Amino acid sequence: MRLAAFIQFSAPSFGVMALLLALPLLYAIYLSLIQCTDVLELVTVRLQTPFGIEELTTQRAKVGVDGLPEQFCKFVWLDQYLSVLSSEFAKALQFTMLYVLVTVPLVIIGGLILALAVNQLPVGIRGFAIGAAILPFIVTPLVGALSVKWLFRDDGLVTQLVSAFGMQIYWMAQAWSARLLVILYGIWHSLPFAFIVLFAGLQSVPKDALEAASLDGASTTQKLWYVTLPHLGPLVTFILLIHTMDSYKLFEPVVVLTQGTFTESVQFVTYSILLDEGNPFKASAAAILTTIGIGVLLIPMLRRAVREHKEGAA
Amino acid sequence: MKPAAYGVVLIWLMLAAGPLAWTFMLSLRDYVDAFAIPLHLLAPLTFDHYRNLWQAGGFTGNALNTVLLTSGTVTVSLSIGSLAGYALSRTTARWGLVLLMVALAFRAMPHAALLPSFVYFFEAIGVRGSIFPLMLVLIAVNQPFTIWMMRAFFLAIPRDIDDAAMVDGCTRFQAFRYVVLPVMGPGLVTTGLFSFLLAYNDFLLSSALTNAENMTMPVAIASVIQADSETLLMQGIAGSVSLTIPLLILVAIFQRRIVAGLTQGAVK
Repeated sequence: MRLAAFIQFSAPSFGVMALLLALPLLYAIYLSLIQCTDVLELVTVRLQTPFGIEELTTQRAKVGVDGLPEQFCKFVWLDQYLSVLSSEFAKALQFTMLYVLVTVPLVIIGGLILALAVNQLPVGIRGFAIGAAILPFIVTPLVGALSVKWLFRDDGLVTQLVSAFGMQIYWMAQAWSARLLVILYGIWHSLPFAFIVLFAGLQSVPKDALEAASLDGASTTQKLWYVTLPHLGPLVTFILLIHTMDSYKLFEPVVVLTQGTFTESVQFVTYSILLDEGNPFKASAAAILTTIGIGVLLIPMLRRAVREHKEGAA
Repeated sequence: MKPAAYGVVLIWLMLAAGPLAWTFMLSLRDYVDAFAIPLHLLAPLTFDHYRNLWQAGGFTGNALNTVLLTSGTVTVSLSIGSLAGYALSRTTARWGLVLLMVALAFRAMPHAALLPSFVYFFEAIGVRGSIFPLMLVLIAVNQPFTIWMMRAFFLAIPRDIDDAAMVDGCTRFQAFRYVVLPVMGPGLVTTGLFSFLLAYNDFLLSSALTNAENMTMPVAIASVIQADSETLLMQGIAGSVSLTIPLLILVAIFQRRIVAGLTQGAVK
């Protein structure tokens, strides 16, 4: 394809990305370095009271010619970063990392077990099983998280079943159970993805290699360990990469299940500084730190993926 | 081996569908039966929550907002994404790969990272709260995976057919439009499904960028639940079921395409 044609074809998409993804990110860097406050002016108000006229001097936001409050902005350089890092962001990053690190192995192992199991089913009922099995991944995350919340309310189904066994747990009222709940939601939501990818991988395990192993007297376990699993290796790298990206974006279960008490996530903190605290400058600092965080997390994995890709090609 | 396999699948299906099935059950009960200690196994059915939600609650408006948002996002996203995906599949230049890596980096970026700029900027120019700015943002966040997926589908179509068309006098765009695109049906449907899911399921961006009039269904559900009223909570539960039903239909019809789309990235 000639360069001119390539540019014409790709310009709309990359134009949109430059304008609405790259530019906002650069703008956030700028916003994170400044702090704006409303300009205040002193006004004297005359009040008519039953005891005569009173004069009161008070402050109010100065209104500019456009009818909006006038703002005074100044560069504060890294102050926002320091303030975000020393407060909620550090805790949020900790829990987000815990969530990523705990869900990754469980999702992959669980997905593998499910894929091996579905692979044993007769072909006729596989379709239905797969359709139902991927529901947690397809359903709106907000609704998924709410469904879990309604099961684990103090008067919810699971809470009552657990208490029938003599354990009364108020799931969302203490740190360990709230964290456990968010992690359980994460496994529930992401396991289908690992399952589908690994199940597709199982369909392409070379049959002759399995037969050869059987002829050489390999047991089922040995075939799994020496033939099937090595074949799935590159897929595990792929799942690792995608699941890390997606689980780092943890948001809905934190909002729904705990509203940020006991469990915070980096996206939640950015969102909450922006909308609850109403500070776009501090939120920008959190946004930039969030972006740096995923970069640091992914670079070693991307390197590994590229290396495996090259080895596969060679 | 076999009984164990059936056991594993059965357990997962119960875990996967259980929470959604229970939510469906809750939506058909009165609050006092839905959340009772001890549990009420049997309770009278009621459709009141659906009626309240859709008739009095204004959920129809939210549904229309969602329809507008998703249809706009899918249409534009697929149009510009298929052009770029085609170009990337037909180039041998090294920076084609560089552009793909840039797109992948954007795919990894959490959406909340974009919000401060959008909120600040949309507020300043006075468009925060309406559907169209949100649609633009969703089209943009849709692009990275759209062009990756489209590229993979275009790679499966041999270049010879574009070359043949161009030898016969087609321009590059005509070859794309009249020769390649017509055989891209499955690719367009699959990529479109994932664009749809991203817009339909979005909560983070939609809740930050829409106002009370323009709320989409997920945002409306979250807002009634926060109100701390039992009637509204039950409406939120009915809303959650209403939001999920189209997705169930989608999975029933397009299951193969969804599975193919999910595994696509793994192969290419």
